[in-house]
Amino acid sequence: MSNYVERFSTRERVLHWFVTAAFITLVLSGLGLYSRLFTGYFDFFGGGANAILFHKIAGVLFFASSLLLFFSHGKEVTTFDEDDREWLAGRGGYLSRDEAHFNCGKFNPGQKMFGIFIGVATLALGLTGIFIWAPLAFPRWLVQLSLLVHGLTFVLAVMFTVIHVYLATIGNPGTLEGMLYGYVRRIWARKHHPKWYREVE
Amino acid sequence: MADARKGFLIDTARCIGCRSCQVACKQWNKLAADPTKNQGTFENPRDLTPNLFNRIRFVEQADDAGGVKWLFMNERCMHCGDAGCMKVCPSPGALYRTKEGIVAYNRDKCISCKYCVSACPFNVPRYGADDRVSKCNLCADRVAGGMAPACAKACPTQTIQFGNRSELIARARAAKKTLFGENDLMGLGVVYALEGKPEAYGLPEKPAIPMSIFLWKDVIKPLGILGFWGSIGAMLFHYVTVGPKKLEEENETKGGTTHE
Repeated sequence: MSNYVERFSTRERVLHWFVTAAFITLVLSGLGLYSRLFTGYFDFFGGGANAILFHKIAGVLFFASSLLLFFSHGKEVTTFDEDDREWLAGRGGYLSRDEAHFNCGKFNPGQKMFGIFIGVATLALGLTGIFIWAPLAFPRWLVQLSLLVHGLTFVLAVMFTVIHVYLATIGNPGTLEGMLYGYVRRIWARKHHPKWYREVE
Repeated sequence: MADARKGFLIDTARCIGCRSCQVACKQWNKLAADPTKNQGTFENPRDLTPNLFNRIRFVEQADDAGGVKWLFMNERCMHCGDAGCMKVCPSPGALYRTKEGIVAYNRDKCISCKYCVSACPFNVPRYGADDRVSKCNLCADRVAGGMAPACAKACPTQTIQFGNRSELIARARAAKKTLFGENDLMGLGVVYALEGKPEAYGLPEKPAIPMSIFLWKDVIKPLGILGFWGSIGAMLFHYVTVGPKKLEEENETKGGTTHE
């Protein structure tokens, strides 16, 4: 028997890294727009006007791919069961060194909430992005509000992504390979997602 | 800035609505004519355009005798002391302040984001066919050369008075005029002597940078940078205090390590 079980299919992995690439392009091209402190980031794209162009293209790609990613797991990440409530009550065991055991399915409640957040953030950023794209075609108050919501959602998305990257790499050794090669070690699956492991064992 | 600051005092009581200012501005700044049509008012054009940096707003009011009276107001960029456009502009040098306190701009550096349109307390900046910002630059080139802006030069009634801002204000106060824009937004570069409430002229009672723009640039921006580093710090703190969820290697043998 192999030491590994499949966690994410090739399609899921490619889609995930496509979203990631679009997200990074959006952050780099948008930083100069966020504040003049980050004007230097415009240089990656050959000036501010080009950065805006990249931001628009990457924005469309991110919007489409991120929503696709969300809806391909929409039911899983929006359904919480009794085991999930236990995980939430115990904060997933992340606040203590004591060994904690939770009966998680393929996604634990933290991952589910991150998935829901990114789905909602994608909608908010995409919708406000349309108004910011063509500000003269919309009422001024709507564009002003959009600039505020776009900035706020961006900040939250980056902060949640920092947590996401931490938990998927050094915070939980063995997790990243599921998104790289698609396979995780059985011991990892049994420890982190026992309910899911029993299904795929 | 205070002493060197130049500005206008616009004494609306003197204005006869001749629109010499509009024409002189177009001539000096080489602005093309905008085709307009008769809309039942002498006000023309009806709004600022990329080719119209200032204009006379015609306000029709009922007078006491049941007739109509006009209020005239020269409308343009106010050259705010605290300028919303400059607060949001992401392209350094596209909008800048001259040593006379003028909010001037360099079209070559404009990146067409149009944030200034949203941030202006007076809805002044316009974008034309070249998709670059366009507004009154207070004839910064003339002012730098010691001349009055074209509109002030052309005004036949001294409605548009140009000079040291503090002197103009002192003179108007001595004449007991009701001033608009003396202190709002750290003082407007265009101060009005009005004959009525600002609202009667279509001016905001209390001009301010829009609340959503203030929240975006002065609250979310700094807090966001703090939040980013805070989240990185929190993760590092978690790593060295609680630590990662390590896999117990010895359990692996029980799970069957041999390859089939």
